[in-house]
Amino acid sequence: MSRHRTRMIRAALAAVAAVGLAVGALPMSGAGASVRHQSSGAKCPLGALKRAKGPVEITMWHSMPRANEATLQKLTDKFNASQDKVQVTLLNTITYEDTLQKYVAGLSTGDLPDLVQIGDGDTQQMIDTQSVLPAQACVKADHYDLSGHLKRVIDYYTIQKTLWPMPFNVSGPVLYYDKTKFKSAGLDPEQPPATLDAITADSKQIVDRGVAPAGFGLKTEPGNLEQWLAKAGELYVNQGNGRKGRATTSLFDNRTGREVYAWMKDIVDRGLAVTNPDRGGSIYDNLLGIGNGTHVMTIETSASLGTITDVLGSGAYPDIDLGVGPMPGPSGNGGVNVDGAALWIVKKSAPAKQAAAWEFAKFLNTAESQATWAAGTGYVPIVTAAADSPAVQELWARIPGYKVAYDQLLSGPSNLATAGPIIGDYAGVQTAVRESWQRMLSEGTSPRAAAKAGAEAADAAMQEYNARVGG
Amino acid sequence: MTLDAPAVAGTPRAISSTALETRMAGHRGRTWGHVGRYALLSVLAFVVLFPLYITVVNSLLTPEQIASRPPTFFPTNPDWSTYSRAWTNGHFGQYMLNSFVVTTIIVAGQLVTAILAGYAFAFLDFPFKRTLFVAFLATLMVPFEVTIIQNLTTVTNLGLYNTYAGLAVPFLATGFGAFLMRQAFLGVPQDLMDAASLDGYGHWRFMVRVAVPLARPAVAALGVFAFLTAWNQYLWPLLVTKDDEFRTVQIGLKQLRNTSIDQVNVTFAGVVIAVIPLVVLLLVFQKQLVRGLTAGAVKG
Repeated sequence: MSRHRTRMIRAALAAVAAVGLAVGALPMSGAGASVRHQSSGAKCPLGALKRAKGPVEITMWHSMPRANEATLQKLTDKFNASQDKVQVTLLNTITYEDTLQKYVAGLSTGDLPDLVQIGDGDTQQMIDTQSVLPAQACVKADHYDLSGHLKRVIDYYTIQKTLWPMPFNVSGPVLYYDKTKFKSAGLDPEQPPATLDAITADSKQIVDRGVAPAGFGLKTEPGNLEQWLAKAGELYVNQGNGRKGRATTSLFDNRTGREVYAWMKDIVDRGLAVTNPDRGGSIYDNLLGIGNGTHVMTIETSASLGTITDVLGSGAYPDIDLGVGPMPGPSGNGGVNVDGAALWIVKKSAPAKQAAAWEFAKFLNTAESQATWAAGTGYVPIVTAAADSPAVQELWARIPGYKVAYDQLLSGPSNLATAGPIIGDYAGVQTAVRESWQRMLSEGTSPRAAAKAGAEAADAAMQEYNARVGG
Repeated sequence: MTLDAPAVAGTPRAISSTALETRMAGHRGRTWGHVGRYALLSVLAFVVLFPLYITVVNSLLTPEQIASRPPTFFPTNPDWSTYSRAWTNGHFGQYMLNSFVVTTIIVAGQLVTAILAGYAFAFLDFPFKRTLFVAFLATLMVPFEVTIIQNLTTVTNLGLYNTYAGLAVPFLATGFGAFLMRQAFLGVPQDLMDAASLDGYGHWRFMVRVAVPLARPAVAALGVFAFLTAWNQYLWPLLVTKDDEFRTVQIGLKQLRNTSIDQVNVTFAGVVIAVIPLVVLLLVFQKQLVRGLTAGAVKG
């Protein structure tokens, strides 16, 4: 029943997206261009800003909630006050999803920002709007040095040697666990599980010793499947994770993917894990469950760490000692890829405004800005110099969990698997995975069949999208 | 005879006591019926009101209290500061004003267009009346999302981007309103029309003096419905505005919602603030609404 409704909603959304994309893509198809990476032709108009008389005013759309918005506003005010060439106005467009929707709608009316913050999953869709200036053009024109950035971050947003957006806010999945309950269960509180099997073993010990009703809080977050494949050093979609050409099929119905599916099924069926959905009102239940003692471990984004620390430290949970560890995963030689969002320069703006947008994006990537940003929000600092700053060091000393998320992005090799997948219909693939998990966990589909069905649904979504945008 | 007396005296007594018993039994039956009915209604009212109640309660708790299990049902230390925080963080001062302006324009517009169109379909004869009516109905099948891009282009081309007019104009006329008013006007007896025309009433005077007053429940229902939809709009106001000056209350609400769990109480407070105008409206128009809902139930 609910699956049916989800599909209806998805179909409706797809229709909206299709209309938006068609409108956005039409002028280009008229010009006979279905080229995907036309960065070589794009020029970064640095000169236009130099020639501009008086301050150039630009608008940036962002989706930062209240506390983070305050830090972003502080940085923006600082930038505006620091020079008289560029003046930036922020507009909060609420969520990543809403921002993309407003952006796509704006393609047909021209009501667009000059710089826009877009969630990592929508990278391919943004490229497909053919309305953005690749940051690479400005990197080249401005002789900007990217070597101070975390390699994994640059890897994610670089496709065929073109850095598309400027990175900005980065987070990653980590393991949260309660050290006190680890001790009660006879587990080493400094040795959180590093593999999926270890999660199961530790959960069993926790349940057997009667420490908690379950060991693990499993949020059915499809992004975790991407991370697990990356950790195993394997591709999630073909064409080198969509980085050598447009991805057409998923690859997660492989040994590692099936291992993940089987692990999930097993730990839930044995009552060692409780699940909660990744959308709707229960999205924090995996975190709250640690506080309430229904389970002891969970995997969640590092972006939640500040809030969790505040809530747990408020005195309502005196007996919880929160530990943070790297995301456990299947065996293999890989590493997690980045979550978060990045800054896109809009090509439809006047040349001076494009250059002004680049200036501001550059400002947000300085070591000083990134230190302020990381200390104020808990996002991972994306330039190594920021990590050495006193503000960040002080944060890490106070809440060591933040360092876990940072270190995790430095470990493992740098390749197409750890760069992460780039998928046109990212949301559609996520839905496919989510639904296959639902069927497996609540309707008794076997892991093998669920992985296969999930992969097939993901392929269908990708191919439908590709057909629509003519790739 | 003496023996009869008590019998005679007893007979009416017996009769009256029987009648009384019957009456009392009937009364008791009815009392129990009432009790049962009220019990059932109370349960249903509880089910309907509980989410509202828990929203108010949660707005007064700390995030830790909201998160803890078992849940807190009675706030012992209500924290009223959440309301002022919600008011400031959700920009409700400006956004509520904008919502009121836009909603008023939309409700007024829908009432005028729906009454005029509904009247035409009910009382006038003109070519292609049936076809046009079907075309009106067909618009009910088109979800707003499908037309949204085109509407946005139109509104922008008209120079109405980021204005009250741009927020309101796509919603000034609806097929639903015309349909609802037509059905209400069809209930007005033809005889009244004839009598009115004998008195020299033209269409305009008949509509204003007779038809609309008779269709008051439908007008009220449409008004409240239009108010609800306009007040709860989110996507359109998000797309058609570019700064705080013209944003509406649901944007502020989602801004509050899109936050971390240490702010949930503030989000709940925002929900309560945003819902107050709707509750007031429903209380004021309760009678008309109920009549409006049952107006078409029995063919008169």
